[in-house]
Amino acid sequence: MKTPAKPEIEEGGDAMTRRRLLSWLSGFGLLGSLIITVLSNLIFIKPRATYGQPNRFSIGKPEDFPSGARLSLDARRVCIVRDGDKIAAISTTCTHLGCIVSVSETGFACPCHGSRYDQDGNVTGGPAPRALPWYQVSLAPNGDIEVDKDTEIEAGNYLRV
Amino acid sequence: MSTRVTLAVASFVVLIVHGIVFYDQFFNRWEKHQTAYFEQARSLAKTDAERRALDQRSPRIEQIIVTQFGESRVDRCTTCHVASDDPRFQNHAQPLRTHPYSAALGDVQVNGRWERRHKFTDFGCTICHDGQGRGLESFYAHGEDIFWPDPMLGYVTQASWHTEFRPKLTGKEYMQANCAQCHTEDNFAGTPLVQRGRQLFFEKACYGCHRIEGLSNGTLGPDLSDVGKKYKINYLWEHTVNPRAFQPTSFMPKFDLSDEEIKALTVFLKSRRGINFAETALGQYRARLQQVKAEGAKQETSAMPSAMRGEQLIGERSCTACHRLGEKDGHIAPDLSYEGLIRDEDWMMAHFREPKSKIPDSIMPVFGFADADFRSISAYLKTRSTPPPFKTAEEIYKGLCARCHGEKGDGKGVTYLYLDPAPRDLTKASFMNSKPEERFLQSLKNGVPGTSMPPWERVLTDEQRRTVLTYVFETFVKEPRGQLKERKVPDKNPVAFNVDSIHRGEEIFLNRCTGCHGRKADGKGPNSLDISPRPRNLRNSFFINNVPDKRLFDSILYGVQGTAMPSWIDYGLTQNDAGDLINFIRSLNSQTALPGGEKSPTLTSQANLSQTNQEVPCLNKGNDKCK
Repeated sequence: MKTPAKPEIEEGGDAMTRRRLLSWLSGFGLLGSLIITVLSNLIFIKPRATYGQPNRFSIGKPEDFPSGARLSLDARRVCIVRDGDKIAAISTTCTHLGCIVSVSETGFACPCHGSRYDQDGNVTGGPAPRALPWYQVSLAPNGDIEVDKDTEIEAGNYLRV
Repeated sequence: MSTRVTLAVASFVVLIVHGIVFYDQFFNRWEKHQTAYFEQARSLAKTDAERRALDQRSPRIEQIIVTQFGESRVDRCTTCHVASDDPRFQNHAQPLRTHPYSAALGDVQVNGRWERRHKFTDFGCTICHDGQGRGLESFYAHGEDIFWPDPMLGYVTQASWHTEFRPKLTGKEYMQANCAQCHTEDNFAGTPLVQRGRQLFFEKACYGCHRIEGLSNGTLGPDLSDVGKKYKINYLWEHTVNPRAFQPTSFMPKFDLSDEEIKALTVFLKSRRGINFAETALGQYRARLQQVKAEGAKQETSAMPSAMRGEQLIGERSCTACHRLGEKDGHIAPDLSYEGLIRDEDWMMAHFREPKSKIPDSIMPVFGFADADFRSISAYLKTRSTPPPFKTAEEIYKGLCARCHGEKGDGKGVTYLYLDPAPRDLTKASFMNSKPEERFLQSLKNGVPGTSMPPWERVLTDEQRRTVLTYVFETFVKEPRGQLKERKVPDKNPVAFNVDSIHRGEEIFLNRCTGCHGRKADGKGPNSLDISPRPRNLRNSFFINNVPDKRLFDSILYGVQGTAMPSWIDYGLTQNDAGDLINFIRSLNSQTALPGGEKSPTLTSQANLSQTNQEVPCLNKGNDKCK
């Protein structure tokens, strides 16, 4: 830079010199790039879509499930519970080692290692460490019931139809 | 100092580039669409529960995985078209618009609420629409990318498509091709264009050349069983309009088709994708067996041959898709209106069974009809024996000759592209005036064997033929006919017809003639495509065996004026050389054994005859004398 020879040392010690400003700007640019790079790599690690069946799916009309039904959809790994006008979806994947639990009279029973759950999915016996999760159930605008396996809700939260 | 400024600028450039990449990768258009949908759905929501459910949703890739129809499909269309199944968005703009409900698709209304027959969760989207299901940008997802084989049928035209045809290739009726993948019934109400196309496939005699699994068994043209999988609709359309558009050497005729008919054929062909979803390989095999059985039964019970049945068959089997018969004219193949006066039954039957057996370069396909059917057709054609009503020479020319030789006599009548050898160009004075009149009269009277020129002997009287020839000379040749030059050519080949002579002839042929007449002597040498008229096929036995030695000598030694055949006497060929050549050509077409006891030789196409190697090529590899 052909600037006229001008003293660059200012009066105050922490006043902004040209050199300091440039250092700050470079530092800001590089740091910003670094942050963006790290961030994108972190985001990139988690796939946005996988080739499994979608986690949000419709299971048909509420009329398809009579009151008192406990219907296990093995392909989707959920059990649809209908009680009067209340509907819920409970996972049928055993919290122990991931077998598909079957619907029994007292609730759920795992065929692999004998874990037992009650009607609401709470553990009553066997090696299972946690209760079966409940999934968000909602009514789609076209009248279908949608289950969203990505959103777990508290046990006992039913959808009223 | 300056390095610091550069560093600062550079670091900002890097920051901006990173920012752009980050934005491009993680802020997608579909996220905006979904956010907009959530907002609008929230304002439309009636209950708190609905609102709460919406609040919990965040933009993400929605996908439908369909495994029950052939290869599994991953359709992410609903990522942008997130409202496609939300009936409240019927009047919104795309992409946030409800997929229309339609009774024609089988959707029904229950309690005032539409219910889809084809649920998106079961069928996906691309099964009807085509397009690239995995795509998340409309350019790729809709198949606008010119390399994507299945652009959205009827909605998307690719940039590489012929501009002239692009508007004709849009319209949702093209999707009928995909409906027919499952709805294969012949009379399915939802696919009228497929039905019409199938009907046209038979009406326009496509079945004669092309094979489609379960429909036809033609062998001359390509198999079309899975043509819909191989080609996009623009190819199907253009190839039907003009077969030479994509394949300059195609000899598929250009049929008389309206736009509506081409559309039906395109949709029908697009629906041919090999095995469709309603079939299994085993089911297809069973259907095939059944068809073969049915055909066998039909052959046995075929009615007695009769002219009436023949007339009916000609209608049913669409002979007039190419040929002309009275009023009906396909503008492709010869006129059959006076066939009874031109050909006898033996000729017709041999021609039906194998068209090439009478005209070696005919493009007519072998129709595998029952013998009785062929007899019926020839019986009917025999009845076409009323001489034409034409009186003046001009009328005769226009009525009988112009179809091939052209209105202007230039050999470019409507059928000329499909006849091989092509019709003679009658305006070429150099040719017309170099041949004796006697020869033209001979051709008119007896036809030219091995070509499509029929014998007019019984159709026209001597007097009429003479006037037509005069008409041709006056109207087309125009130049005055001088005295023919007397040429010294022997009447009969003086060179003895034996193996040595044939070998010498072959050597000369390979050295001098193959450029045009081809190594196989079939008239398809490397230069042949640039020459008009095309070089003679010297393996056309009907033609060659009908030409006297004298004419062959004349053509070889003095050339054929008005064609590319030069006068070989100028290039040092002696009369004896020509005699050897003639013996060689005769041997290619000879039906009898050679004098030496050898079978008639065939041209060894692999004969490695180099120019320096003076050794006589081996014609018979099995012979002990051959090295």
